Amino acid sequence: MAMRQTPLTCSGHTRPVVDLAFSGITPYGYFLISACKDGKPMLRQGDTGDWIGTFLGHKGAVWGATLNNEATKAATAAADFTAKVWDAVTGDEVLTLAHKHIVKSVNFTQDSSCLLTGGNDKIIRIYDLNKPEAEPQEITGHTSAIKKALWCNNDTQILSAADDKTVRLWDRNSTEVVKQLSFDMSVSSMEYIPDGEVLVITYGKTIAFYNALSLDMIKTVDAPASIHSASLHPDKDFFVAGGDDFKLYKFDYGTKEELESYKGHFGPVHCVRFSPDGELYASGSEDGTLRLWQTAVGKTYGLWKCVLPDKCVPFQIMSNQ
Amino acid sequence: MRPHVSVLRLPRGPDPNGRGFDPNSPRFIALCPTTISASTETGTDSVQMREEQRARSVLRESFLRTLIAMTNKQVQFHMYERVKVEAKFGASDIDVLNFQVSELHTPIGVQKEALLRCQDVISYSFDL
Repeated sequence: MAMRQTPLTCSGHTRPVVDLAFSGITPYGYFLISACKDGKPMLRQGDTGDWIGTFLGHKGAVWGATLNNEATKAATAAADFTAKVWDAVTGDEVLTLAHKHIVKSVNFTQDSSCLLTGGNDKIIRIYDLNKPEAEPQEITGHTSAIKKALWCNNDTQILSAADDKTVRLWDRNSTEVVKQLSFDMSVSSMEYIPDGEVLVITYGKTIAFYNALSLDMIKTVDAPASIHSASLHPDKDFFVAGGDDFKLYKFDYGTKEELESYKGHFGPVHCVRFSPDGELYASGSEDGTLRLWQTAVGKTYGLWKCVLPDKCVPFQIMSNQ
Repeated sequence: MRPHVSVLRLPRGPDPNGRGFDPNSPRFIALCPTTISASTETGTDSVQMREEQRARSVLRESFLRTLIAMTNKQVQFHMYERVKVEAKFGASDIDVLNFQVSELHTPIGVQKEALLRCQDVISYSFDL
């Protein structure tokens, strides 16, 4: 008999969770960072959701957070007009990068040597973390606040999404636009999958998949409700999405069929991401919680335990679905 | 009714008393070579290590003693944006992120109880 999904709720934040990111797989497992309007981003163990530490120092809502592949560095973007770089092992603040407006997005290069930032001043900046006092390289062009800026194509190009309803591909060296996509409405989220060069964009009720190099559209899928974020599974067989109706949806990437939907959050879902091993996905919500969901429901992984029928279990959780 | 997947326990939440990043975790121990290393060093290095350790201990102890000496005394704080305030110092939190003060004299009035953000403080002085 098919089991019912038991999401794991990670509490601790006191305001909406607006962004989350996983690290790569490290010798100590993988990690998860969450950005929250309470100004206190948190680091958690990725497969269990166990809290590891809170990065203290921002004086305003944190809108974006990211980890480098090795989970040794973290970066955060906040409403206090700064982006900060942190030591993700000690929790110490390493660098504060002053901006002229709210910072929304931060992203490390593969080797963690450069940090990309973007925000309400409409300018994309590239900071060399080996020379933090040097002026950052600036890329201008967007006519509205930038929501997300990501490195792509082996860190030689940059993808950015802004409230001017465009997604732009930039060349890092020339800082010129290579290609541009225009939409009828603002893009709500963007995810870049280096393996296979796929770009996942959400807007309205649509989840759209593009080739990240050519910006050619691969396919679009419509969900039952307005979607704030989506994530493609590493094996590219499923994708998950969440938004206004508080639910998480799981779709078959090949057939575009809606496979499952899960209730659990008490507010709109703002962000959702698959773990690097694809075994779970994490969602962050207006309700101030993160929830971890199994990709293969019923499998023994992390804190989930596959129980054979007729076996006595000392501790069982019933979710309130 | 379909059974729910069982869980071993719930994810651990934040510690209300600190900011985490357990220095005894395997990851911390492996990735944070402190300047005070417990591993074997060459002769000259370990002498330097011990000297640095001694100096750090002295400085840390002096700092903690100043916090004790400051308790209930009038302290003048010089802060960013040319702000100078005076207050009766109460206590510091464990990570020295906030100072608890009373009767904070500010340009817009006296605040009975307040928390000063330590990162906003440039320097402070008080009479022993």
